[in-house]
Amino acid sequence: MWRKDSAESSDRFEYLQTLVTEFQDTDSEEAKEQVLANLANFAYDPKNMDYLKELQVTDLFLDMLTEENENFVEFGMGGLCNLSMDPECRDIILQSSGISLVTNLLSSRREETVLSAITILMNLTKPSSRSEITDPAILQCMLRFSLSESPRLRNLAAVFLQDYCTEEQVAQAEQQMKGQQTAVGIPLPEDSS
Amino acid sequence: MAAPVSNSSGCWGVPEVYKHHEQRKVCISRPKYREGRNAKAVKVYTINLESRYLMVQGVPAIGVMTELIQLCALYGAVEEYRPLDEYPAEEFTEVYLVKFQKLTSARAAKRRMDEKSFYGGVLHVCYVPEYETVEDTRLKLQDRRRYILRAVHNKAKEKEQKETAEKEPTMSSDTATTSERIVMRHDKASDDDNTGEASNVSKHPSFPPLPLPPREYNYYGHKTQHGTVSTEDKMGTLHNAIIVTKQQPAPSSSSSQTSSDGHKGAKHRLTSKPSAVRFVPRSTNLENRKRKMDEGHSLTDATRNDEPLIGPKLPEPPKLDMEDESLNTTVSLIRNTMKQVESVPDLKPVEKKVKPRRRI
Repeated sequence: MWRKDSAESSDRFEYLQTLVTEFQDTDSEEAKEQVLANLANFAYDPKNMDYLKELQVTDLFLDMLTEENENFVEFGMGGLCNLSMDPECRDIILQSSGISLVTNLLSSRREETVLSAITILMNLTKPSSRSEITDPAILQCMLRFSLSESPRLRNLAAVFLQDYCTEEQVAQAEQQMKGQQTAVGIPLPEDSS
Repeated sequence: MAAPVSNSSGCWGVPEVYKHHEQRKVCISRPKYREGRNAKAVKVYTINLESRYLMVQGVPAIGVMTELIQLCALYGAVEEYRPLDEYPAEEFTEVYLVKFQKLTSARAAKRRMDEKSFYGGVLHVCYVPEYETVEDTRLKLQDRRRYILRAVHNKAKEKEQKETAEKEPTMSSDTATTSERIVMRHDKASDDDNTGEASNVSKHPSFPPLPLPPREYNYYGHKTQHGTVSTEDKMGTLHNAIIVTKQQPAPSSSSSQTSSDGHKGAKHRLTSKPSAVRFVPRSTNLENRKRKMDEGHSLTDATRNDEPLIGPKLPEPPKLDMEDESLNTTVSLIRNTMKQVESVPDLKPVEKKVKPRRRI
């Protein structure tokens, strides 16, 4: 049924296109979730990235970030997490105010969403975006995460702070946090949730 | 947010039952066109969920740890392993933590071993990234990034070459290598897709055009093929790496029939496809080789050398040493196990036979 090479690649493109179409046409939330997860998983393979870009799936994922349905958000973030390592996708996300959309989700209650958010921010880092991504508010968030009980969250936050920020930036953020703490008298939260 | 059951004290402390360890319910409502061969749950895999660390649940508590680790080792080098006694386990089963040297090995092992029967039990294999250290996580992300950038770079290069090749009608060795690269990436791609647990597994067509199998190719089923070759492509499927790197497919000719023989479905698909892919037992291969060496050796050489070469020279067939001991790994393992089993003394007492019969 699936022939190879050029026939195969157009088959693949058609299949992905069918998925996107189903997502747009269906009313069933369940079907939408399944297709979204499908697409997000396809995004893991660099071979599919060209097709997904052509089908504007990056935008589809970005649209999910403001949805009520937490599964939509989680799967959309997963898809972006997978796509954002590709430089072109990265630029598309940056152009669509991706940083602020993603940053908002650092406070999600879904751990997978938060993990995806941190990874996406790392992937989006380039000279032109660095200052926005290392905003003190984000750094403070990462500092809190680095104290989390969840090892995955701790590790990712640690990598972010160590590899994507300067020591001065981190020290500054720590200072600010301490300042807030003494001013308000509320200790740092124990848990990242 | 996954709420931990108990407090953890470091990576090797008491494990918590995380949400992502749980086996999700399989999705039953998929429409036909995107229904995979195997029922799968709705789940998205990102680099954060994957890990070199795997947890294997459902191992029958009958002292088969060694066998389990040997099975894991088929997919790549195992760095560390230990039983997770603290982790909640079903009665009469054990849970193990296995750390692979490479993420790709862990990926392959998870894909192949999950839901498979093992000594009477059914294994549940999942990634356990919470056992990673910060350095592990860092390296994982870096490797992934490097892989993506390389893939993107290769694709761009290949596009360029395609364009130049289209302008030049003559076949050059460049295009041959290009098709190799295409095949290799298709290969990686098919693995990549298969790592996602959504139902895209059987539907996607990224199966590399399989070349004619080399005469010396082993056939013991897909698992044992891994034992023979040390090369492992980035996405963790060993036997496909063999096919692709050692055998240059004659572009588009015979491979078309075998195109749908994906590595994953190799087991049953190859038997259903009658034509090109034929696995020959190694003993037959050894005999064939001997025979060929004996008969008309000098003859064929002479003719081969005189013949003018037209078109691109196909590379040599793989020089696989049939006498290599490593090819017997699985057989030796099975034989040793059999010996052990047989050496266990009969449980039934022999006294019954020894007792003299009373003559009435």
